Amino acid sequence: MLKRTRALLASLAFGVLAAVAHAQGTGAAALPAPVASAAEAGSLDDRIQAAKADVISLNRDLMVLEEELLFPASTQVAVFVSMDVGLMFDLESVQIKLDDKLVSNYLYTPPEVQALHRGGVQRVYLGNLKAGKHEIVAFFTGKGPHERDYKRGTTIRFDKATDPKYIELQIKDDQNKLQPDFVVKMWQ
Amino acid sequence: MRSSASALTALALATSLALAAPARALAADAKPPADPPKHPVVDPHYGDVLFEFFQNHYFPALTKLEVSQHFERMPHHADEAEVLRGGLLLSYGMHQQAGEVFEQLIARGAAPSVRDRAWYFLAKVRWQRGLAGPALDALGHVEHPLPGQLEEDRKLLQANVLMATGDNAGAAALLTPMVASKGAPLYARYNLGVAQVRAGDTARGAKALDEIGRMGMPNEEQRALRDKANVALGFAALRDGQPQQARAFLERVRLDGLESNQALLGFGWAADAMKNPKLALVPWVELAGRDPTDSAVLEAQLAVPYAYAELGASGQALDRYNVAIANFEHENSNLDATIAAIRQGKLLEGLMARNPGEQIGWFQTFKDIPLVPHARHLTPVLAGNEFQEGFKNYRDLMFMSHNLADWRDQLGIFGDMLATRRQGFAERLPAVSTKAGAMDINALQQRSDANAAALREAQSAQDGAAFADAKERDLRARLERAQAALDRVRDDPSVADARERLRRVKGALAWQLAHEYATREPGARAQQADTEAALAEARAHGEALARAQADEPARFEAFARRIADLDTRLQALVPRVAALSQAQAQALDDLAIASLTEQKARLAGYTAQAKIAVAQLYDRATESGGDGEPAKEGDHAAKP
Repeated sequence: MLKRTRALLASLAFGVLAAVAHAQGTGAAALPAPVASAAEAGSLDDRIQAAKADVISLNRDLMVLEEELLFPASTQVAVFVSMDVGLMFDLESVQIKLDDKLVSNYLYTPPEVQALHRGGVQRVYLGNLKAGKHEIVAFFTGKGPHERDYKRGTTIRFDKATDPKYIELQIKDDQNKLQPDFVVKMWQ
Repeated sequence: MRSSASALTALALATSLALAAPARALAADAKPPADPPKHPVVDPHYGDVLFEFFQNHYFPALTKLEVSQHFERMPHHADEAEVLRGGLLLSYGMHQQAGEVFEQLIARGAAPSVRDRAWYFLAKVRWQRGLAGPALDALGHVEHPLPGQLEEDRKLLQANVLMATGDNAGAAALLTPMVASKGAPLYARYNLGVAQVRAGDTARGAKALDEIGRMGMPNEEQRALRDKANVALGFAALRDGQPQQARAFLERVRLDGLESNQALLGFGWAADAMKNPKLALVPWVELAGRDPTDSAVLEAQLAVPYAYAELGASGQALDRYNVAIANFEHENSNLDATIAAIRQGKLLEGLMARNPGEQIGWFQTFKDIPLVPHARHLTPVLAGNEFQEGFKNYRDLMFMSHNLADWRDQLGIFGDMLATRRQGFAERLPAVSTKAGAMDINALQQRSDANAAALREAQSAQDGAAFADAKERDLRARLERAQAALDRVRDDPSVADARERLRRVKGALAWQLAHEYATREPGARAQQADTEAALAEARAHGEALARAQADEPARFEAFARRIADLDTRLQALVPRVAALSQAQAQALDDLAIASLTEQKARLAGYTAQAKIAVAQLYDRATESGGDGEPAKEGDHAAKP
């Protein structure tokens, strides 16, 4: 009986270990990826890591090519949307017109709004413009103070030279007016 | 006696917990590093990367980040972007590349805050590679508290590494102030208990675990940890020969939690140790009816007849042993069916159907997988680190395979687009060149120069007549003709009146032109400037056209070469990724089958034990002079 109890306890001790490993999430023992298993799986894992690195590097080069081919620096214009605090405005959509032509009509999902709140900046439009004078009009819709439907537009004229033009549409809180404020910032 | 018992308890608890690994946050390694420090985003392209990152779109975040690094569009966030890149690479299981990123950041002397984070992530990389010593060394280089949640993660990582390297006292010293603070994670408290016990401070460690074992917990994760603490304490007491105490600990474990099977088994053995097999039957019978994929349940199926035999109910014991043998054989055939399904590739197909998103979660609680019969047998192997890492690799490779297929289509479109542009350029060039050639810019320039000289002369003489319009010039010409006619009849007194009138008209015109000078001169100057600007623009266009004639074909050629090069790389990667996916799939299947084969071996062992016990029961019945059938009631059977 004693022998049997010992055997059971040994298996239960293993059970405790397995159960703790569950809580770890990774299921690993105290020291993860011990040398023996790493050596066994190493070659495949190394080859997979190398292939992933090559895919990521290829993706980068393809995206660089795409940008240079479709949106060359001399004509490139990018429009970004950002939020600074943005507590007074619950963004739902943004509509962008460039030279009176609708180029973007974007509806936001909750994760996107959350990402903006956390400091993300969305590139909402990427396109081409000839050098010269242009006009951008942006309309923001959403809920303003006191849950009221809110729609605000902002317009700015700008010169496009031969460098890329980056335009940032910033949603800010105006603490004095207790209202959202929409600011256009020209980067280049 | 008391101190001896206490020492024994300490020893038992230490032994029981020696195998227990420290707990850590469930998703600690499943996610990329915590958010970058919150500060104003200066470069919008860095913000764009964060926008993807904050939505857990790690692949677009990584590629966008590298593209913007290529174009040098994030000069104000260069180091932050590198830290983020390292973290993203780490989340893709690319330990080597992530390690290189962090090492380079450190080597190039990044700002202290960046360097500290780089050391932390480097430690994490090393820890995940099983390199505890180097991980500890990297953690030693962190000089300042890390921002936000990262600091707590660092301490927990350091405690885990210290425990892995045997410095349990160091881990306990690190965790003690952490646990004292409000809102400290429960697993930190659990780890502290484990570290204290391992370090020999059994009293405090057991107390810490006992506190966890008594706490009311708000969520499943914490309740599971409480169960774990109670099971560890229960088995320590059982091993220490304190079955009543063991039952007290094990009684706290929930009946429906992950630990419940272990607890029920131990609860029964504690009763058995109290010489009360009847009491042991209660938990064991409950356990024996549970999912037989758990080894504790299989043990219970043997323990129940053992208890009946202990109670002298040999007949019932025999029946139960026979039921257990039948169950084991049934389970064995179930395992064969599961193995067969895995060999047909159903496991990964089913798991992929369960995890359709880009990110994966840990699936330790899977009860069923589409297409795989009796998938519960796979729970232990699916929860294992090796399988989870391998499956993540497999999913990443599948994602990348789709990504490459998309780019293959795109690249074809780029090629067509380039060909169209090239053709359009070749078609338009002759017409544009002809048009440009027809414009004699030099002649126009000469005319402009002459006008400029005339303007300067008129300005210097303040000559209003120089700015006369066509009507005025016509009038001046008529007046000159009239003057000439009058001059021819100079002696004729009858034209004196006309001469006077002519003089007045000329005077009026001269006055008018002089008067208009002030307004006409700037206009003429502006027109001349416009002419010169237009001429400069025309000349620039001409030069651009000449340049384009020379450069554009070379540019098209360069693009075509790049497309071809990228296509070559892409074509080489497609079969490579496919082959690696297949190899990874095979490795995962092998892993699962190995686990199931182990379970089959265990079942064979249980079956053999049960058969021996049955034989012993028959032998004893025969020895006692019966008819060869074990007595049904009241007869004492031998222990199996």
